[in-house]
Amino acid sequence: MREKNVMLLHYLSGVGILIFGGIHLFTVFFTRPLGETVWETTLLFEGHQFAILEVYRNMLLASSLWFLLLFTTFHGLNGLRVILIELFPNRAVRSATRYVLLFLGFALMVYGTRTIVIAHMIR
Amino acid sequence: MKTVRFSVYRFDPSSDKKERYATYEVPYKTGMTVLDGLLYIKERLDHTLAIRYSCRMGICGSCGMTVNGLPRLACYTQVKEVGWSLKVEPLRNHPHVRDLVTNFDEFFKKHKSVKPWLVRTDSREQESPTSQYLQSDAELEKYIQFSYCISCGLCYSACPVVSSLPEFPGPQALALLYRYLADSRDQSRSERLKIVDEAVGIWRCHFAGSCSQVCPKGVDPALAIQLLRREMMRG
Ligand code: FES
Repeated sequence: MREKNVMLLHYLSGVGILIFGGIHLFTVFFTRPLGETVWETTLLFEGHQFAILEVYRNMLLASSLWFLLLFTTFHGLNGLRVILIELFPNRAVRSATRYVLLFLGFALMVYGTRTIVIAHMIR
Repeated sequence: MKTVRFSVYRFDPSSDKKERYATYEVPYKTGMTVLDGLLYIKERLDHTLAIRYSCRMGICGSCGMTVNGLPRLACYTQVKEVGWSLKVEPLRNHPHVRDLVTNFDEFFKKHKSVKPWLVRTDSREQESPTSQYLQSDAELEKYIQFSYCISCGLCYSACPVVSSLPEFPGPQALALLYRYLADSRDQSRSERLKIVDEAVGIWRCHFAGSCSQVCPKGVDPALAIQLLRREMMRG
């Protein structure tokens, strides 16, 4: 992939993190202004609208978590790639790093998706 | 008589084991430049000092050196501007040759890699043009400031990315690439955009902005890099 496309995805995933990270933070922390009871329910495992498991059961919130996972994985690993390019200005290290990070990204996505799907399906 | 103290970096890899700083007292004259001082040293105090210069008027770009920590053109820098005690060293990021002289091979290789000339699709027309290629003021305005570059290498020397990542094209080459890309007479847009679209290309610029600060000609390479990135995103 051309570097400009990688960087475009980097910027877009940064914006994505702001949006989906915002939704995530809202469901976890920012329910406090809605009242103490709502806030308390976010700490429960299940049984209330914002309880941990309910967030995963809700299709929209679970998808937003998956997108957050996708964007943070891509943005974080690409950021790491850029840092490593500058730390080790060596072509061999650079191409090895690319494959290691691709594998790492893939593994993170598989494990994270599995977690979200399992949590979504728990009844 | 007022004197200026020059502390000059001396190192000849063919004979010296270690670098050193030699100190010279030079009588001050109104309007004296750093190059005037160094030439005084070379003519009257120490003939062995190696320096590079040519035009003595800020045009050829060959007298770049580090004066009191900043890359400057020696012939363009008034002693009065920088102080009565000067520390003069070779340019950073360029391989050292001797004393204040550095090697520009890599710099010019990068310069050449961006094809700093107009490219027309019709090569016969390019070799022997049949008419003039007129430009409007607005078209000229798009690139004129970047064409003032004299390839002195000061921006390259000030660039923190070049020092950590020697493969990086550097501000001069990138600004020059934009200068030709923005020229309405050039017809190689897509090829030009690909030249620096690499892992160690334009995207590694951190926008420290030091290139624009040290340019003796008022060129703003950091702006050119921003504009070039925008053009690349547009495709
Ligand atoms: S001697 Fe030509 S720019 Fe200084």
